[in-house]
Amino acid sequence: MLSVEALKIRYGEVEAVRRVDLTVDSGEIIALVGANGAGKSSTLGAVAGLVPVASGKVIFDGVDITGLTPEAIARKGVALVPEGRRIFASLTVADNLRLGGAVHQPVAEARLREEEMLELFPILRRYYRVKGGNLSGGEQQMLAIARALMGKPRMILLDEPSLGLAPQLIDTVFDLIAELRRKGLTILLVEQNVALALEIADRAVVLANGEVVLSGTAKELASSDLVRQAYLGA
Amino acid sequence: MIAQQIINAVSLGGVYALLALGLAIVFSIVGLINFAHGELMTLSGYALLASLVLGFPFPVAVLVAVSCGALAAVAMERIAFRPMRGASVTSLLLTSFAVSSLLKVVFQNGISARPQAVAMPGWMTGAFSFGDFTIGVGPSISIVVSALALIALEVFLRRSVTGTAMRAAAEDFDVVRLMGIPASRIIATAFLLSGLLAGLAAMLWVAQRASVDPLMGFTPVLKAFIAAVVGGLGSLPGAVAGGFLLGVIEVLLQATLPGAIAPYRDAIVLSGVIAVLLVRPQGLIPAVRAQRS
Repeated sequence: MLSVEALKIRYGEVEAVRRVDLTVDSGEIIALVGANGAGKSSTLGAVAGLVPVASGKVIFDGVDITGLTPEAIARKGVALVPEGRRIFASLTVADNLRLGGAVHQPVAEARLREEEMLELFPILRRYYRVKGGNLSGGEQQMLAIARALMGKPRMILLDEPSLGLAPQLIDTVFDLIAELRRKGLTILLVEQNVALALEIADRAVVLANGEVVLSGTAKELASSDLVRQAYLGA
Repeated sequence: MIAQQIINAVSLGGVYALLALGLAIVFSIVGLINFAHGELMTLSGYALLASLVLGFPFPVAVLVAVSCGALAAVAMERIAFRPMRGASVTSLLLTSFAVSSLLKVVFQNGISARPQAVAMPGWMTGAFSFGDFTIGVGPSISIVVSALALIALEVFLRRSVTGTAMRAAAEDFDVVRLMGIPASRIIATAFLLSGLLAGLAAMLWVAQRASVDPLMGFTPVLKAFIAAVVGGLGSLPGAVAGGFLLGVIEVLLQATLPGAIAPYRDAIVLSGVIAVLLVRPQGLIPAVRAQRS
């Protein structure tokens, strides 16, 4: 469904990503793991069109989307849930959701979609008229995911969904991710919590210094010595 | 007398508020202080003059003039600012100065450097009488128009998807784009609204003076800029509050300062602005910005 080929990203003189190749098949969860500054978020940003690509290709559903604007890529069915959630703090939960589904479907369909989201995230119904900035971190994460789902994406890019959340909330978020996959959504997950990521993913790609150093099924990686020493602390 | 002064103050404040809002809307979305905003106002003034000279009925002429302001703003964005997208704030600022100077010269050489009389309908200069005191028709219309424009804008920003997206874009433009909402649509709408407001302000300004000249937009937009800064740059409620505050203070000083001090009115107003900014550097009602790590 998605393939990233020889991706290179530069910020001025700094090469944030030297070479990343990865593929995500329909219905899979792929985890992109690695240390801080390994190039995970930059890779997601490049797929979503937020970060300029220096060279290489991003192909979604057989179409080259490299260098398209973020809005064009979003319309093709790729949704990014950015790091730090970045919900619209001064807008109500209702307005956040409304913007998420604004351009992807007729208004009547968007209403139905919103109803589905409120079923999936009851907390958002409770705070429907509350400003996004007044929600807790976990609630904001739910809102950020719901907002992305409003656009009926076929693929969702999750950037550090567990960051800054209390342990039991992390479980809730990951249960949700598993449920989304059961519903047929394809997921590319960037996560610093490697153990958690490997638990939920089908396959994983390990990045270090802007390059892929290891990739394979989540099971293989969880038992690999390199991953155990470097990321699982075993 | 006091009632008349209050009306004048609110009416002047309303014009400043419309202009300051136009500056604030564009600033909140693209981070540009559009110094060519005054020329949009001037252009609308000339469009009104031309329409009247061509013999259009007054309401049609006003409609044409305001539309010209709005379209000119959109054209300005397309021609001058869109090619500069992604450029530094300084480059954008210089571009807006260039557009402003260019238009001024075009007005001076293409039309005339001297003020042109605009034949406003006679009823505009009339007055309502309520028992003892009289209220000018011009200032009253000005207040009603400003109020309606502010309400319409508020409804647009709250209710419509594009308006909601604009409020969101003021906070975090990239994420609005991630929702699939085109950046160009948001930016074009911001300029359209600012041009519309500048056009309306021009009508109110011309109505009270019955003439247009190439530098017509300079002073009111300078005042509007001050109002926007005092209110909190990029904050829309701040721009409105700043506009009314400035209008009220100016009229108040005009009415109360003794003759010998009157020429220092602007200096006194600007000292007040400095005082406000010393206490509240972000302005009276600061703009909301996303916290980025």
